[in-house]
Amino acid sequence: MAHADERQTEELPAEEDSELEAHLLTRRMMINLGPSHPAMHGTVRMRVELEGETIVSADPEIGFLHRGFQKSCENVTWNQCLPYTDRLNYVSAIMNNLGFLKAVEALVGLEIPERAQYIRVLSSELHRMHDHLTCVGAIGLELGGFSAFLYAIEARELIMDRVSELTGARLTTTFGRVGGLNRDLPEGWIDRVTRTLDKIHELLGEVDGLLTNNRIFVDRMRGTGIITAQDALDFGFTGPCLRANGINYDVRKARPYWVYDRMDFDVPLGQNGDNYDRYLMRMEELKQSEKIVRQAMRELPGGPIIVDDWRIALPPKAEVYGTIEGVISHFKLVMEGVPVPPGEVYDCTEAANGELGWYLVSDGSGRPYKVHVRAPGFAILSGVPRMIEGKMLADLIPTFDTINMIGGEVEQ
Amino acid sequence: MSESDGKKPTGDASAVKPPVAPPAPGGRPAPKHPGFVTVTVDGKELVAKPGANMVDAVRQVGADIPYYCYHPRLSIAANCRMCLVEVSNSPKLVPACQTPMAEGMVIQTRSQRVQESQRAVMEFLLLNHPVDCSICDQAGECKLQDYYQRHDFRPSRLEGEKVMRAKRKVLGPTVVLDQERCILCTRCVRFMTEVAKEPQLGVFGRGSAELIDTFPGKPLDSNYSGNTVDICPVGALLNRDFRFRARAWFLSAAPSVCTGCSRGCSIFVDYMGQDTYRYRPRENEAINKSWMCDQGRLSYKSVNQLRVGAAMLGRGEDRREATVAEALKSVVEQFKALAGTEGLAVLASPVASNEDLLATLAFARDALGVRSVYVGGRPEGTGDHYLMTPDKNPNRRGLEWVARSLDLTLKPFSELGKAINAGTVKALYAVGGEVPVDPSLVSVGFARLEYLVLQASNESAITAQAHVLLPAAVHVEDEGTFTNLDGITQRFRRAYPPRGDIKPHWAWAVALAQEFGFPWMHGNARDVFREWGVKVAELASFDWDGAAPPVKVTRGINPLATGADGRPPGYREFGAPRVRGI
Repeated sequence: MAHADERQTEELPAEEDSELEAHLLTRRMMINLGPSHPAMHGTVRMRVELEGETIVSADPEIGFLHRGFQKSCENVTWNQCLPYTDRLNYVSAIMNNLGFLKAVEALVGLEIPERAQYIRVLSSELHRMHDHLTCVGAIGLELGGFSAFLYAIEARELIMDRVSELTGARLTTTFGRVGGLNRDLPEGWIDRVTRTLDKIHELLGEVDGLLTNNRIFVDRMRGTGIITAQDALDFGFTGPCLRANGINYDVRKARPYWVYDRMDFDVPLGQNGDNYDRYLMRMEELKQSEKIVRQAMRELPGGPIIVDDWRIALPPKAEVYGTIEGVISHFKLVMEGVPVPPGEVYDCTEAANGELGWYLVSDGSGRPYKVHVRAPGFAILSGVPRMIEGKMLADLIPTFDTINMIGGEVEQ
Repeated sequence: MSESDGKKPTGDASAVKPPVAPPAPGGRPAPKHPGFVTVTVDGKELVAKPGANMVDAVRQVGADIPYYCYHPRLSIAANCRMCLVEVSNSPKLVPACQTPMAEGMVIQTRSQRVQESQRAVMEFLLLNHPVDCSICDQAGECKLQDYYQRHDFRPSRLEGEKVMRAKRKVLGPTVVLDQERCILCTRCVRFMTEVAKEPQLGVFGRGSAELIDTFPGKPLDSNYSGNTVDICPVGALLNRDFRFRARAWFLSAAPSVCTGCSRGCSIFVDYMGQDTYRYRPRENEAINKSWMCDQGRLSYKSVNQLRVGAAMLGRGEDRREATVAEALKSVVEQFKALAGTEGLAVLASPVASNEDLLATLAFARDALGVRSVYVGGRPEGTGDHYLMTPDKNPNRRGLEWVARSLDLTLKPFSELGKAINAGTVKALYAVGGEVPVDPSLVSVGFARLEYLVLQASNESAITAQAHVLLPAAVHVEDEGTFTNLDGITQRFRRAYPPRGDIKPHWAWAVALAQEFGFPWMHGNARDVFREWGVKVAELASFDWDGAAPPVKVTRGINPLATGADGRPPGYREFGAPRVRGI
């Protein structure tokens, strides 16, 4: 590397004072963190330039998981986009599904039934817990605390079981449809979720005990990966990473959607914008989400789970097989898709990592004309070099953990 | 609807009459725009020509009145009641297709009353409609489906049984009728009477027993019966040839020209992958209006069947498949020796497009040194009273023009037979395998030829006699122009690329010319037209690019849009497209 050599010669000690000092010839080292590295959640490559153990520059390079998601959506009907959204932030797939649906419904101008709104809040918060548990567990694991990881993953596994009962899939949930939901809560599910939350509470206590006041953990986390509030705003941080700087922005409070305005929960705020604060954000949000889930289950109203409009929602199967009206509606919805009126919309929800935004354009056919997703992780990943340059290589790992980058979401 | 009419009749017959426009001095109100009728449609001003139909006219201001029975080329029946709209000079809703527009009239196409009426009409139409979408060929292009989703979208309120009727009544060689699906719009009856002038369909019975049928003992055997399938807004009349062969939403359409006769009707070629499934008439005021004949409609079969797929060398037992390079080399070796001699003749088919003929005949003149060309082509057939002509070749006029511009004289096919029999013609370069007499007789004559190079698209007795057989593309596989019997030149577009080594005639001519050492670099039909077409006096002013009909993409229902490079939807380099549901 020619340029490295040049730099090396520049840094050679001057002739006069070199005589009695045995200078070590140093050179910068370029290392690749990833793309196949267990700490590089998903497949992302970090080109890190090191001077000793100090990071001179860090350049996250994405593209390994690119799959043309936004373009693919243009070839399928609105509801058929849902399986693609599963693969964005695959640790909280339901939040992507429902966020996308909310944007489509905003474009249609649709109010969904109250029960569907409650179930959407409930399942979103469950998956927020799922996401945060993964994040917290992975922080522990990658800083050497395997026990904390096992507790967190045990709790996560319980949520996965509940989610698979609800949606039929552990990971790729494809939950909800334009206008509401595709299926109601299974029988006895609320009781099982209550018991699951009790158990998670217990497991979370273990994780909390193992990590939060652990001297080694705190030393690695506190004061590392700092970003200033202004930088965080400038980079477009949202979610826990922004709130760790004390900036109170949560879409659930700023622009309440569904029934979040009826939910009793607090938005935790940090102070320092370092790794430790981002970790604490997640621990606290886990508790707040649990509160929301319990409240939503308590207040869950009865009624339909999807709008009663055959232009939007599939008719009941008996109507499809037995009446011409039903079969026509079914045919049109499946073959041509929901007739979303021409127009464009930006709509967002608070996903686990921040503001998940959708810019949708419809030309009036049953398929999207354009889909753009504002993934929270993309903006946050772009801020990593600012957070880590000039710091130690060892700090990169917890920083990468606490921003909770998910490859599928950053690369679409 | 009666309660929404507002005013109930008071018993006095005159009260039912629509209130007349306020009597202005001098009778009618003065037109706002002299020479036109000015009305208000959904709050927007519409200036229409007097006599314009309301259904068509309101589209100018973005209004969309649904209809089943109305057809711009048929008489008005106003029986489907779908186009009922609210107008200021009538207390009741009026059918838009039948109501003349009056100066100052205020028309509401989306008012609450109109929407409720449309919903009610849809409910009535679907009342006895069978639950057939999944087995109905019309699904995907059915107006019942479209309008239900747009204007009704409510569950069925039917209690009890639907009326059952004949489910598959074969009306004639082309058409099968499902009387249960019929909504009795009578478009087909009016078409047969007014356009085809062969009144073979009628409405029988009354009330629930009313149905469309043929007259006793008389089949629907008109050469225009296929059009009734096209204009049927629902799945009642179906084409027996197309039935159950493809779902409408998997087909893509390319604007093309029918090659069945010298009329050259404008058509859409409906295709999937590299197969053509049907021809449909495309509107062309100058030639075929909105119609085409059944014989032309079925002429798509030659595009798929018995195609010459690869270059062949040798005759009889020596015949073997050859690579393109091999075939070209062999042809040019022989032709170089024969060029300019009396023994080498050229046969051109008026089935080929203008571009094919331009390149092949230019090659014949410049490389082979011929002064005259024999005319092949399909044999004379019968014409009929409307569109079909006796000449079954789509481009005879084009061949005449092209030959004249290249200073080639055209000789009838019979002289070629005589010349072969007399032994003056020993070698033949034939563009197109169509001959005007029985191919088996011709093949006996052609067997005497010492060297026959044949560019043909379909296998026949003639192709068996070729020493070199070159596979030629058909019109749907390339773009170009045809000139019909009236001298109207039409552009057609490519539906899909040809299979394997198949090339258009012009491409074979260019390849042969290059092998001869000519610096010909024509890459497509457009280049060919640019080189020789502009020198044809009659085609000099033809705007080749501008005349191309627009590609119509039915977005929203095709599985994938057509590739930007012209590949059909779902087309892959190898094999048929993997499309579900075929």
